[in-house]
Amino acid sequence: MSSGPHILVIDDEPQILRALKTILSAKRFQVSTASRGEEGLALAAANPPDLIILDLGLPDMDGITVCSRLREWTRLPIIVLSVRENERDKVRALDAGADDYLAKPFGIEELLARIRVALRHSAQAQGDQESLIRAGDLTIDLTRHVVTLAGEEVKLTATEFKLLAYLAQNAGRVLTHQGILNKVWGFEYVDNVEYLRVFMSNLRRKLEKDPKKPHYLLSEPGVGYRFSLGE
Amino acid sequence: MRSIFSQVRFYLYAILTTSMVTIPLYFLRGYLNTSTIALIYLLPVLLSTTSWGLGPGLVAGFAAFLTYNYFFLPPYNTLIVGHPQDILSLVVFFGVAILTSQLVGRAKQNLTAAMERERELARLYELSVALAGANGLEAIARVVLNQATDAFCATFAVIQVQAFSGGEAFEVWSEPLDLSPGRLPTVVSPLQTARGLIGEIRLWRGEVPLTPSEAKLLQTFATQGALALEREALLQAETRAKVLEESDRLKSALLSSVPHELRTPLATIKASVTSLLSGEVDWDSQSRQDLLETVDEETDDLNRLVGNLLDMSRIEAGALQPARQWNELEEIIDGALKRMRHAIEGYQIELDLPDNLPLIPVDFMEIQRVFVNLLSNSTKYASPGTMIQIKARVRDPEWVWVQVTNQGPPVASEHLDHIFEKFYRVTNADEITGTGLGLSICKGIIEAHSGCIWAENLTDRFAFSILLPRIWEGKSISMAGVEAT
Repeated sequence: MSSGPHILVIDDEPQILRALKTILSAKRFQVSTASRGEEGLALAAANPPDLIILDLGLPDMDGITVCSRLREWTRLPIIVLSVRENERDKVRALDAGADDYLAKPFGIEELLARIRVALRHSAQAQGDQESLIRAGDLTIDLTRHVVTLAGEEVKLTATEFKLLAYLAQNAGRVLTHQGILNKVWGFEYVDNVEYLRVFMSNLRRKLEKDPKKPHYLLSEPGVGYRFSLGE
Repeated sequence: MRSIFSQVRFYLYAILTTSMVTIPLYFLRGYLNTSTIALIYLLPVLLSTTSWGLGPGLVAGFAAFLTYNYFFLPPYNTLIVGHPQDILSLVVFFGVAILTSQLVGRAKQNLTAAMERERELARLYELSVALAGANGLEAIARVVLNQATDAFCATFAVIQVQAFSGGEAFEVWSEPLDLSPGRLPTVVSPLQTARGLIGEIRLWRGEVPLTPSEAKLLQTFATQGALALEREALLQAETRAKVLEESDRLKSALLSSVPHELRTPLATIKASVTSLLSGEVDWDSQSRQDLLETVDEETDDLNRLVGNLLDMSRIEAGALQPARQWNELEEIIDGALKRMRHAIEGYQIELDLPDNLPLIPVDFMEIQRVFVNLLSNSTKYASPGTMIQIKARVRDPEWVWVQVTNQGPPVASEHLDHIFEKFYRVTNADEITGTGLGLSICKGIIEAHSGCIWAENLTDRFAFSILLPRIWEGKSISMAGVEAT
């Protein structure tokens, strides 16, 4: 047995399970599989994995329910798989606590990249939230509310800082538009995506070398944003 | 009670008028002859008839007859008539008084009836005009309800319509709501069509019952309303039948074209994979790579095809309801380019998007599909190595104009109008793969956003142009902030 990270795959399609098990094992992950939601929840509780890959279309229960049931007791990273036709479910899953998503059919390189990001993020999160976040030449001091870029302080408005801090504290995770609006602006603003877009555009102008090809503040098209610590 | 009192009052007025004429005549008795007096006495009779109706007119006539006899025919102050000639004039007077008052009274009654009929006609005309502008069963019922409430001064009204001709049962209530519990409606009129009862109108209005003419008008309202409802229901049934027929046609067209479209990539994948699996050939790494890339591209193609089929069925079912949100055009185009990265690999992609593009209120996924399909179409008709350009400009306060151009061959003008139709193929199906669905999906999506899309030949290239709206819920948003419009 290899001693790599343990991944639990919950999907009802045997072909996908078989393919993922083969590929992930070859990449030195320990893989366990479940084909039903209840089975997956039981497995996760009995032997907590390092990461869960969860298909949203399960026969016995909604993948979103599985997601929120898991979030009741664990922060372990969850990557959801959705088919293109249920894109709105993907947003609901992210709001229910999933870290990332991938649309079927996907390339395996893409999946491996997401797994790497999620595992690294979870390793960081376990080391408790630090008050200083570093990403490339960007530092964010959460206690002093100071942001510096290559050593120079960047002036941000209060809302801009709140937005940046929330994204950076969840680095690597996909945060939905609604989730961010709820957290930064408040519940009554969840439908005002335009605020978020205008503020993100300002933040990018202040923090990114090329605002059109952002390095830290990445768009997740149609879903939300993700803060990248920079590869 | 009131009406009886006013009737009595009118009779008193008639007698009073006659007395008022009698007084001056009494003093002038010596100077006037009896026939002149009789003539003057016709005045109060006519006046009473025209002002208060036939009854008071007759009473005035009778009073005039008595006073004429009593005061003006000798011997005075008795009801005895001396001269036979006077008897004759008395009888003639009485006859003339009654005849004229009857004539005038009847004319007046006719006038009132005519005016009432005119009011009814005006009401009916208003109703039919309002009905002509109403679409949908509920809207029609609402029109009838409002018109009836007005016409009959109802305090509250309800129209209840049963399920018929495939429609659903519903009720419309007038405003403000008045729900005195248990109070029975003043009048209920059935909505009756040739095929049977489809509902009823219930009116409430204080204690006043409907007059016979009002009852008749209400009935006409009900008939008109029922007819309009029935016509609308039949129209809807017909539309449903047409949609079914159309989707049937679509299904058979799909069934004939899809297997071919599915088999082409499947055959390629199968061939490549079995080659790699077979132990007979020792593939060098370059050939192996080529075969695997083919598989990768073909699966993308299959995936897109399945997506298009689903989109088409959704558009056909009228289930395409864009989940609008404020989006950046650039992000949408980036998403589409990412999704198409294999297919566009050999092409030069040029983006010409100004920095100050406003946000557009569209469904991200749907509009991304439009660009995916336009890119896919461009790669099919333009040869690799050529340029595909996506360009956007702010046209005016209402629209953003986007153009996707490729260096493919021009399309003959007779095809230009048709290329957005389902299954319309300019070229022979064997030369270029595709279901002929992509562009019709683009059109469906863009139109669901109330934008428009068209194709045109430019001097050295072929272009798809799109107009997308900037205004949603009464505002437009530039990256500088919200602008109310």
